[in-house]
Amino acid sequence: MSTRPARPVAAGAFPRRSLLVAAGALPLLGALAACTDPPPGADAVTPQQEDRLAGQVAVQTELVAAVDAVLAAAPDLAAAVPAVLDQCRDQLRRLQEAAPSVTGSPTTTSGSGTASPAPAAPVADPRAELRTRLTTAADSHAAACLDFTGARAALLGSIAAGLRGQLVVLA
Amino acid sequence: MTAPSSTTPPGTAGPAAPTPAEAGSARAETAALQDALAAEHVAVWGYGTVGAALAGEDRTPVAVAVEAHRDLRDQLAALVADRGAEPVPTLAAYQLPFPVLSAVDAARLAAQLEDGTTAAWVWVLDQAADRAVRELAVGAASAAEVRAVPWRSRAGSTPATTATPGL
Repeated sequence: MSTRPARPVAAGAFPRRSLLVAAGALPLLGALAACTDPPPGADAVTPQQEDRLAGQVAVQTELVAAVDAVLAAAPDLAAAVPAVLDQCRDQLRRLQEAAPSVTGSPTTTSGSGTASPAPAAPVADPRAELRTRLTTAADSHAAACLDFTGARAALLGSIAAGLRGQLVVLA
Repeated sequence: MTAPSSTTPPGTAGPAAPTPAEAGSARAETAALQDALAAEHVAVWGYGTVGAALAGEDRTPVAVAVEAHRDLRDQLAALVADRGAEPVPTLAAYQLPFPVLSAVDAARLAAQLEDGTTAAWVWVLDQAADRAVRELAVGAASAAEVRAVPWRSRAGSTPATTATPGL
């Protein structure tokens, strides 16, 4: 599963993470964990979890459609937060990769998906609308994260964190 | 951020690497909590440098962040101790990844400190067996990302947000 995080390791082993951890403050065994297949136990999913994951794909699909529609109707806002839509799409792609049982291909174009339709008309306060949509999706993914273990829990939690970060630029 | 006198060459796994525990096991969870505790130690220490490079009201978010990281550090130490393990200690000093000579440097360092804790907490999510631990971790990862975004903006990073922080 491509979404598995790498274990934070001691300085030097992974330059990108060299700041993360004090050498000597951690046991130095992480490199192997970052490049091996995930163990099956933590990443096994029940049918109920498959349904839950499909639900989170739907949540994100709906979010992408809504963000696309809101920003299309508010070009000034779209210019102010140029990365939000692409990042929401990237989150959706990651979720779809983690939920292979969900039908449909990863979203690369605007507004695709089967979730409820995005706002058809311009909203009075597009920034507030966007914040509401992002908050709703973040809350949903954070709650779902608790029902999983392993890489899927990490992915859902990471996406929730990413959405909370996007809210900061919309404040 | 590194310790001043690491004895292990970069890129090596060290001489006594134990077998990694399976994700979702109690041992893996405790190990991940120790990693997060180490990252929180680094953050608390590092924000001292961030604050020293900033002036006046620019230090307000530093104080807020330090308090948050201290709280998490204390929670983690208690969780680790509850599991019968010895919480990893803070080091006397750490080596900065780059000289912090300006407010921009300070913001860059702060963003990296938050990124470090986010990665550690996302790893806890990956490894945790206990739902309550995952609840703590998802909240901590989100809070770190929320703090990181303004620091990235101040450091001139574009975009300031990330789709999947910690992954």
